[in-house]
Amino acid sequence: MGKQLFRYSEANKEGFLDSDNITFNDGSIVTPEEIWHYLTVEGPVKYPSAFEVNLYQGNRGSRDETLPTSLKTRYLGLTFSARMEKAKDNGKSIAFIQGGQAVDPYTAADTIALRPGLVNQWNNGLEYGNDINKENLRRKKSKEKAFHDMSFEACQTGGYEHVQAGNLRIDVIAPYTVLRCSDVSYGVEAHRHGPNKDVKLLNVDFPLRNQADKPWAIEYFAGNLRRLVHTLDEVTGRKTTEDDLLKAIKLHNEGRRLGTELAELWWSADIPPTNSDDRASLVSLGNLETHGDVQASLSVLKEARKFIAERVKNGVKGHAVTDNPKRLFILGSCVGINGSRSEDAGAIVVGRDDQWSHCSSLVEEEGDPYYNLAKTTLEYPYEQGIEKRAQWTIEQIRKSRADGVIFIHNWGCNTQAAISRPIVDIIKRETGIPTYIHERDLHGLRDEQEQNRVNAFIEML
Amino acid sequence: MTISGNYFAGVDVGSLAAKSVILKDGEIFATGLVQSGVNSVESGLNALNLALETAGLKKEDLTYIVGTGYGRVSAPYANKAVTEITCHAKGTNYLHPTVRTIIDMGGQDCKAIRIDPDGAVVDFAMNDKCAAGTGRFLEVMAGVFKVKLEDLGSIALSATDTVPMSSTCTVFAESETISLVARGEKPENILNGIHHSIANRIAGLFSRVGIESDVFFSGGVAKNSGMKTAIEQALKVSIVKPEIDPQLIGALGAAVIARNFAKKEGLWV
Repeated sequence: MGKQLFRYSEANKEGFLDSDNITFNDGSIVTPEEIWHYLTVEGPVKYPSAFEVNLYQGNRGSRDETLPTSLKTRYLGLTFSARMEKAKDNGKSIAFIQGGQAVDPYTAADTIALRPGLVNQWNNGLEYGNDINKENLRRKKSKEKAFHDMSFEACQTGGYEHVQAGNLRIDVIAPYTVLRCSDVSYGVEAHRHGPNKDVKLLNVDFPLRNQADKPWAIEYFAGNLRRLVHTLDEVTGRKTTEDDLLKAIKLHNEGRRLGTELAELWWSADIPPTNSDDRASLVSLGNLETHGDVQASLSVLKEARKFIAERVKNGVKGHAVTDNPKRLFILGSCVGINGSRSEDAGAIVVGRDDQWSHCSSLVEEEGDPYYNLAKTTLEYPYEQGIEKRAQWTIEQIRKSRADGVIFIHNWGCNTQAAISRPIVDIIKRETGIPTYIHERDLHGLRDEQEQNRVNAFIEML
Repeated sequence: MTISGNYFAGVDVGSLAAKSVILKDGEIFATGLVQSGVNSVESGLNALNLALETAGLKKEDLTYIVGTGYGRVSAPYANKAVTEITCHAKGTNYLHPTVRTIIDMGGQDCKAIRIDPDGAVVDFAMNDKCAAGTGRFLEVMAGVFKVKLEDLGSIALSATDTVPMSSTCTVFAESETISLVARGEKPENILNGIHHSIANRIAGLFSRVGIESDVFFSGGVAKNSGMKTAIEQALKVSIVKPEIDPQLIGALGAAVIARNFAKKEGLWV
């Protein structure tokens, strides 16, 4: 017997068709009619796991049918793999990045920058017809293979594995080292000893923490960003100018401003205007990198800003949000909780520190763009020492009116594991808000143990 | 037999045992405890049916059922599911209102819980994904020494010395134990070391949430006298003597919560 699949209701079709097109980097557009067709006909056949009605595995995804941009981010997510394949067919260059940085230099150099999560998403989307269980087992198998091949366990080994195995057409591996991820260097090392040695490699060397006020550190890092762009140019065969970088910075600043406005608008509402997943997927558009297409992200973000403003004004509550939910703020790198199950337990996720830090950090647009970008990157609040990072986090927690804080660190993520306790202690001391630290297993089938702890925390609140 | 009164049940399906408690109005009326199998629905039902049988009741006589433990998500017989952290807090508070700190050690996890005078959780910490410091850890050690699980504690208490042991990993601890035996260390001294290493691990959890008297020890491992003593020494506290089998506390808390839900939903006045 087939699994029960979620279907978007025809009753909402007309409203959706009135919404905007999505415009992509290459100038192509997709209309609401085409998106609706994909989400109701093509998508469920290709990716039944994304539509499966399954309370305990996976999550709901976007089911807020009257919020058109919510469906559009869903569309962008589901078509990601096919779009990356198309981009490669058209000769576009793709970089595997890691380390929490802004992607402005990659945009300037006409290169798609993909973090490990997106690299995995690209690979996951290459196989059609899986239900949630099959999909979970497939991902687990891939991760296990990476553990064995590289002899180390960390959260994002899958991406390196796919590159090594030749599953994905990645042109360059160019992570920022020593920026939050303790496993970057291991991954790079494993890559250097793997069978696929021809993929170009560049470590963008990042000065250690607390150097933002030192001109030598900014100059040093700016030099590394120049090396990065030069390396990307070697791949693409083009010559990226300072003006290209300045234009990219201006474009990304527009995304960062809109993302920040959207988040603050959301926080200002008495009634949460979206559920946890929709909030996260819309706010994260601000970094313009989530879907491997800067212009597509920007066009959906602009429209989302308008819809959220309307919802806030009219007091519309997001899909599946309970009355007076407990507001959770999630800390830690590359983590999140199951939004739908946490909402069922009476909570909502109102924010995350990861990547919000660089979404809310604008880059100066006057002067040397390399220097400006280097300075801003070194100033990211999330990458500062414990006390500074904690103070910035407290500010975000207060703005979001969170009732509780959960710090999650992946098994093997040594940096986050080490600092979780002191950061949480400072937050607790200064705000009195209940906190919880959770170490996450990496093997994928962890849902119940983790949700048990999250639900207990929600019950406590 | 005429059935009168209101009956509320709590069913706690853990990794090693499934437990059930039936409350009649405000009193414990019947209990059931069975070993868990791979089918958590069946395990929970077995425990519930055992309690029903003891009470001379049918499932239809129950006003409200709350499921808890890892099997709570697969409990179609329950009206609601609540985590075992909340249930241990309520169950303990029901029996021992002066308790403010709970150590719960079950088959696959260990919890440090702080509660307020109403039995509401104010803070908690749990072991992470490893089985070290849990009932399963002790089960492995009982296997190494070929003794019954329930005898481990008394053997440890007969020790004349404490052999320092690692509690970081169950598998490493097992090989460490075998090495210690080969070196000629006495089994009771090794077992004493194992109990103390687990107790010290628990003390680490309490460094996060703090300790306030009175202190209670719940869960299946609470029946181990050696562990109770080791924890008392590690935390420098005296543990309150349980009024019922401490393994039933989670199910009791679930039954208390069932009664509260029934009241809130107008099913019981």
